[in-house]
Amino acid sequence: MSLLAVNWGNVMVITGLGFGIVFVVLIILIFIMDLFGKVMAPKVSVKKTTSGKDSKEQTTEIEYDVHIPALDSAAIAAALHLYYDDVHDEESRVITIKRVEKRYSPWSSKIYGLNNNLTRR
Amino acid sequence: MKHTFKILFLALVALIAGGMRVLAQDADAVSDNAVQVAVAATADATADAVPAAEAEEVEADINVGGAFVDFFKSMGFYLFTEDWRYVIMLCISFLLLYLAIVKQFEPLLLLPIAFGMLLSNLPGAGMFNEELFAGGKIHWDIFVERGGMLDYLYLGVKLGIYPCLIFVGVGAMTDFGPLIANPKSLLLGAAAQLGIFMTFIGARALGFTGAEAASIGIIGGADGPTAIYLTSKLAPHLLGSIAIAAYSYMALVPVIQPPIMRLLTTKKERMIEMKQLRTVSKKEKIIFPIMVSVIVSLFLPSAASLICCLMLGNLMRECGVVERLSKTVQNELMNIVVIFLGITVGATATAESFLTFKTLGILVLGVLAFSFGTAGGVLLAKLMNLFMKQKINPLIGSAGVSAVPMAARVSQIVGQEANPSNFLLMHAMGPNVAGVIGSAVAAGILLSMLG
Repeated sequence: MSLLAVNWGNVMVITGLGFGIVFVVLIILIFIMDLFGKVMAPKVSVKKTTSGKDSKEQTTEIEYDVHIPALDSAAIAAALHLYYDDVHDEESRVITIKRVEKRYSPWSSKIYGLNNNLTRR
Repeated sequence: MKHTFKILFLALVALIAGGMRVLAQDADAVSDNAVQVAVAATADATADAVPAAEAEEVEADINVGGAFVDFFKSMGFYLFTEDWRYVIMLCISFLLLYLAIVKQFEPLLLLPIAFGMLLSNLPGAGMFNEELFAGGKIHWDIFVERGGMLDYLYLGVKLGIYPCLIFVGVGAMTDFGPLIANPKSLLLGAAAQLGIFMTFIGARALGFTGAEAASIGIIGGADGPTAIYLTSKLAPHLLGSIAIAAYSYMALVPVIQPPIMRLLTTKKERMIEMKQLRTVSKKEKIIFPIMVSVIVSLFLPSAASLICCLMLGNLMRECGVVERLSKTVQNELMNIVVIFLGITVGATATAESFLTFKTLGILVLGVLAFSFGTAGGVLLAKLMNLFMKQKINPLIGSAGVSAVPMAARVSQIVGQEANPSNFLLMHAMGPNVAGVIGSAVAAGILLSMLG
């Protein structure tokens, strides 16, 4: 009975329209973000200097995408690790003994020393 | 032996409660007689024509028996015998506390929710006054008179303040970088909202009203603050049940999602390795929250409060000039609001509103909502693979149901089962944060259509 009491037309309109609007809004965001991505994706411009025929230096700018593939990153990291691991055969000569803030200790106390004078009470 | 003692103890408690009830009933009869006698005596005294001023000075003797009876009647143990549903509600709150503390199911929220439930179901304590919010309105005329701490704190939920403040914190903790690097993730985030709308249909079929069905459907968004925000606006009487269902199922994402993901994908699809995401500049990360706030708010003003709060938090994080504010909203503000939100949402789960067949329906529909959401994301990812040169792993589609970052972790784990050298986490974070935006947009749409 409750199934018949529901206006299924309204339910379908709300569902279809609602789900559709979610998609439309997010697709619009995708377009805008794509546009922003193309404009603002970080790129490195490198000046390449070539000598021309009439000995004037010609400068051309070439843009590179700074994106490095995962495998390249892994290879660079491994190479750096191996390099520093082999090279690092000298001590850094940095004294690492930490100075203790608390200077007082009963072990170094003069109060309990053996050289105290005897006191008569 | 231990069980024997437990049974004996429970029997003793039941006996005492029953005895008190009988005693109280007897005392009622006795006190009725006493009242009649007192009335007669007063009439006699009036007949004796004692001067009025002199009579006022005489203080009436205390009725020791009656005072004891009143005291017993005010005890929670006695009230248990009047309404057994309090006992069930306390047991449910104990179960939730157990799940939060021992099983660690979303403990940050489930613990305050369970304790709030415990507080509002202590018979006679009157910690939460539902009548102040009856009919979906705040009855300001009696609020100052009767309102207690929980009632005042509940105003934050009722006025939609806490979910928005939590969204500021969520925004400050979220890195939208993976989404900016791969904007197509937004499609997966949109597809995963399928759960919301399919559950809406299911709830209507079960006899819930449109507003109630929308509030139940939003559980499929797997986003607690959004679910609480929408429910507090559309169906506040279901707030306790929906919040508990939403947070419980969010904790169960690692249990609910993997079987659906495996069912809808082949091993070959699960093994797909994705290209590393491009680097996202700081400028892009700063402009993104401003742009999303403006565009979404212009399209859907009803979603503006949630989306703009989310993006405000993210802007604080990314701009780098308000480090203190960013840290505050991520930690102190977020924690304080979570405590208030949890306790008050739990307090709304009173016996009258919680122990109904509607709650059972909400719990069943909640699982369906999560399942449909997961399936929607995975299926759209498979569909996209038919047209795209660069294939995407369909497992990241399931992360489109928000549940940040749990759903993304599930994608990573299921992906690594098929291909141990596959790292899907960052790819899954894109649809994951897109799901947060998608569910807020869906909530805005439902609010504008049914609010």
